[in-house]
Amino acid sequence: MKIDNSLILKLENLARLQLSGEERAMMNSDLNKMLDLVSKMDELELDHIEPLVHLTDAVNVLRPDIITEKTTRRDALKNAPDHDENGFLVPKVIK
Amino acid sequence: MPYEKYETVIGLEVHIQLATASKAFCGDENKFAGSPNTQISPISLAHPGTLPRLNERQVAYAVRLGLALGCRINPLNRFDRKNYFYADLPKGYQITQQDEPVCLGGGMEIITPDYTRNIRIHHIHMEEDAGKSTHDAYPDNTVVDLNRAGVPLLELVTEPDFRSAEEVDIFMNSMRQLVRYLEISDGNMEEGSMRCDCNISVRLKGSETFGNRCEIKNVNSMRFARRAIQYEVKRQIDLIESGGEVLQQTLNFDPVTGKTSPLRSKEDAHDYRYFPDPDLPPVALSEDYIEKIREQQPPLPWDLKQKFQEEYGLSEYDARLLTERKKDALLFMDCCGDSKHFKQLANLFINKIKTHQKESPDTVFTKKQLTEFVELIAANQINITVANQQLFPAMAAAPEKSVKKLAEEMNLFQSDDGDFLDGLITEVLAKNPDKVKAYKNGKKNLLQMFMGQVMRNAKGKADPKKLQELLREHLES
Repeated sequence: MKIDNSLILKLENLARLQLSGEERAMMNSDLNKMLDLVSKMDELELDHIEPLVHLTDAVNVLRPDIITEKTTRRDALKNAPDHDENGFLVPKVIK
Repeated sequence: MPYEKYETVIGLEVHIQLATASKAFCGDENKFAGSPNTQISPISLAHPGTLPRLNERQVAYAVRLGLALGCRINPLNRFDRKNYFYADLPKGYQITQQDEPVCLGGGMEIITPDYTRNIRIHHIHMEEDAGKSTHDAYPDNTVVDLNRAGVPLLELVTEPDFRSAEEVDIFMNSMRQLVRYLEISDGNMEEGSMRCDCNISVRLKGSETFGNRCEIKNVNSMRFARRAIQYEVKRQIDLIESGGEVLQQTLNFDPVTGKTSPLRSKEDAHDYRYFPDPDLPPVALSEDYIEKIREQQPPLPWDLKQKFQEEYGLSEYDARLLTERKKDALLFMDCCGDSKHFKQLANLFINKIKTHQKESPDTVFTKKQLTEFVELIAANQINITVANQQLFPAMAAAPEKSVKKLAEEMNLFQSDDGDFLDGLITEVLAKNPDKVKAYKNGKKNLLQMFMGQVMRNAKGKADPKKLQELLREHLES
């Protein structure tokens, strides 16, 4: 796999970022270096190895169905860049 | 337009909100219509450094639904992140199950007036709901309420087995009935507890390949779903017939205009970049665990319906009405253990109790009352009309009272007491000497007129058979 400009543009779109031309070039080189590093693994025979998702073998880490949390609206809205008395305000999503 | 040439193909994605006490991955209250942003925590607000932990009841409910639908239960469940940006999804991803969902396969029968068919289920997975956006409060802002963010959902995905809007309607009604029987969701579509996305395509009849499909998002009422499907099928056929091509799109249905319109097209379709969620370890479901849930499984509507038909000899129609709600079905079954007058009991439930519940849904009926009621009618001790019109409302108003006692107090027992009837007959005959004469001269059908008058004077307490006998005696002596 090779990172090129069109892939960077797609990733920008997905990540809702807008890079400058200079940043884009830097990102391109960084990402390609990362891929090169990871592609070292291609040299190994890994067909029979399960992908490692979790670092522990824990299973069934569950909680009982009880109400334990209660953050007040006041506290919840405190860190929001914009809000009214009831909720978070964000730029209009649907025109 | 030759619409008959085409066949409609529909697949559903049904979202079921679970009736748990707390949310899927944290201990916030799970309740509909709470005051905005009061059922929240750092986890549902997606603050950094928080860790989700799965609600054990969500797993149990998923298995309960899966077992009811004959699914295979996945012994090793995993969770994935579905990534997209939207203001009511504070984490920037939804926790869901992409590769290892909890239930696989299975199916549910739909029964139409003309045929019965199995709708195959592809899988059921666990996930979480997003928050709620309100767009019309401000000109430049959307308001976000996160009470719903993290509410546990099951998403049930069917195979593309539906061939009409009617079949979808029947399926959704059965699904709502099922989740209520299983007590895993309230199934209220109006409140969004059950919603469905419809994948719709059309193809020439006999064709083996599918046409391009359009997805109608978030239809929250069966009436809308029906209209949306009908509109969309016509739109697609018209498009093909006029030489066009159906584009794979996500559509929105506007209930006001009755039309569908594109939400987004395939080109800018979401790239969700699913990957395993490192925060949530796998969930292993042992045979023992599944067996335990199977043992505690509540009765299923179709099992009760079959039992009512086979054991109580009721018609399909009666059995269907009686099993609409679990509470009624169980009470009915309970009554049938005490009284063998199954058909009379069925009539009582269908004609009286169901109607009564529409007006006063909180009335409690007890097995003791209902069986006594039916036994009194069956033993011919109370006239059925009198029972329905007078005794029933009195019984509904006094659930703790013995029905027999009520009937006594209201003086409703039919009388086959000869003296009582003799008196009434003599009175009626004395008032109508002309008609008695006419009867004696051969106008035998006047008997009905005399019957009616005596019955009226007896206020429903005369046993018609006995009365007719006595009347004849009087008139022909």
